[in-house]
Amino acid sequence: MGEAAVFFLHGLAYAGLLFLVSSGLTLVFGMMNVLNFAHASFYMLGAYFAYSILRFTGNFWLALVISPIILLVIGAFVERFLLRKVHVHGHVHELLLTFGLAYIIQEAVKLLWGTTPMAMPVAGILADTVNLFGVVYPVYRLFIFCLSALLGLGMALVLFKTRIGIIVRAAVDDSPMVDALGINVPLVFMGVFAVGAALSGFAGVAAGPLLSVFPGMAGSILVDAFVVIVMGGMGSLGGAVLASFIIGELQSFGVLLFPDFSLALIYMLMALVLVLKPEGLFGEKQ
Amino acid sequence: MMASQKAMLHRVGLALALALLLVMPWLLGSYQLRLFTEAMIFSLYAVSYNMLLGYAGLLSFGHAMFFGWGAFSFAVALNHFPGMPLMGAVVLAMASTTVMGLVVGVLLLRVKGTPFALLTLAFNALVFAIGIKWHSVTGGDDGLSIATPTLNLGFTDLVVSHGPNLYYFTLVIVGAAIAFAWYFTRTAMGQSVLLIRENEERMRFLGYNTNVSRLILFVLSGALAGLAGSFYAILNSFVSLDAVSIEMTTKVLLMTFIGGTGQFLGPVVGAFFFTYVQNFLSDLTDNWPLIMGALFIAMVLWVPGGLAGLAAKLSGGRKDDDPDGTLAGLE
Repeated sequence: MGEAAVFFLHGLAYAGLLFLVSSGLTLVFGMMNVLNFAHASFYMLGAYFAYSILRFTGNFWLALVISPIILLVIGAFVERFLLRKVHVHGHVHELLLTFGLAYIIQEAVKLLWGTTPMAMPVAGILADTVNLFGVVYPVYRLFIFCLSALLGLGMALVLFKTRIGIIVRAAVDDSPMVDALGINVPLVFMGVFAVGAALSGFAGVAAGPLLSVFPGMAGSILVDAFVVIVMGGMGSLGGAVLASFIIGELQSFGVLLFPDFSLALIYMLMALVLVLKPEGLFGEKQ
Repeated sequence: MMASQKAMLHRVGLALALALLLVMPWLLGSYQLRLFTEAMIFSLYAVSYNMLLGYAGLLSFGHAMFFGWGAFSFAVALNHFPGMPLMGAVVLAMASTTVMGLVVGVLLLRVKGTPFALLTLAFNALVFAIGIKWHSVTGGDDGLSIATPTLNLGFTDLVVSHGPNLYYFTLVIVGAAIAFAWYFTRTAMGQSVLLIRENEERMRFLGYNTNVSRLILFVLSGALAGLAGSFYAILNSFVSLDAVSIEMTTKVLLMTFIGGTGQFLGPVVGAFFFTYVQNFLSDLTDNWPLIMGALFIAMVLWVPGGLAGLAAKLSGGRKDDDPDGTLAGLE
């Protein structure tokens, strides 16, 4: 029982990270029909920036604040000066652009920080363990989950309870109509893209101490995030929550139960969803 | 210029190119010849990729799964079946890639556009994971060494694992495969795929089963990539997981796009450009991928038709299949 609880909590922590990465991805996709390949690279950049901030200041909380802000700026820049430029050429070019961007970020990271995985130690209460219903559990993983849940909740509040949220949701559903109503849709795009990058960067900072910081971290979460948004339904936030939870737990229990096939398990599930419901759990029929 | 004169000029150009290819081993040193052979193999890989991207408008991020599958099937056929003739292994590799293309195609072609693109990536990751885990067959991280058998021509046995013989062997088989791909895109079947890209609904109304056409193209593209994979294995006398990695997918994407998706020969131009520029840059700096990536982004931003599109534009607007390099098909 104790072991299962531990793995359940492990799964929750990873699900939290996955949700932070995939929520921005799915919203941007819903709005612009653009799958951002560089999204997971923002996650990786978030982790590397945090690593450097932590090295120079020794303050994890500072890294947790500043790194996402840097990514907010990078995200806005990428949308405004790169993505918007190729928009006229169609979706393939937008996809290719973000793909090239992911490639460049990958190489730049190797150039600047090297290829060896680097540990990102946290101090103080975050490094502690806590006795939870008879199970000794590291605080940090709980912290990740709570952080993700809080951010997710905040995002839901903004999306469903504010005027900005209404505009964003409307733009996801039907951006030409929102445009016709006199709202500056490109600005909304830029905002969502930038906030998505920041959230992804946030997840990266949180992931650093857990998974260590290495150049392959973008690729490994990218595929999982893709599976999440395909399973949940492209553009659906509720689908992203559910699918993140499923994938997170599946990853965690997969390692426990079938250590050799944990990777394949996720793809098999994805193939199953694809066969039974190609539009995803919460997606609309094409 | 009159049309017949133009056709004549084309024929002369083709004959000259063929003659040049035939005497290449006398013009190049062994290192340069190897590089040229590699570029030819990647040309087939890129041409097969462009059948999906340029002709069907299907953006795939998982083409290395076919390339790698072909390479590994080839190596496994040689290593696990002693006495396997060379062409037998090549045919087996293509056959196994065809079967795999069918299975993957049936699953993936249910979706279109962006979901298709990202599922190809996920399947590539799956095949890579199989490659790592199935150590007894694939060798896992160690890869597989192969001893390429001699090519039995009936009257003599040729050692085709390296040098001019490998070059000619590649020229004949890979050249034939590229020619076949070209021929295929000119057949009614190949043209129908082009039309499906432009207007699928109308093709359905005209009575075409668009799903079957797309599947056939997908499988053929995979099989040709598998063939390129087997030759890559012969060239290196070795197969590693690198052949099935996302990097290998990235490579074909860069080649095809830099070369240009709008013309049949675009990917060939791209493959040669990429191979030679990579060779040149990697001598200068370890960070050559950074330069290559920047080049790629520059092409996407400013030269969406690729090098071949640029050349066509400069030489006075030859008609091509995709004049602006704007690909339809992704909705």
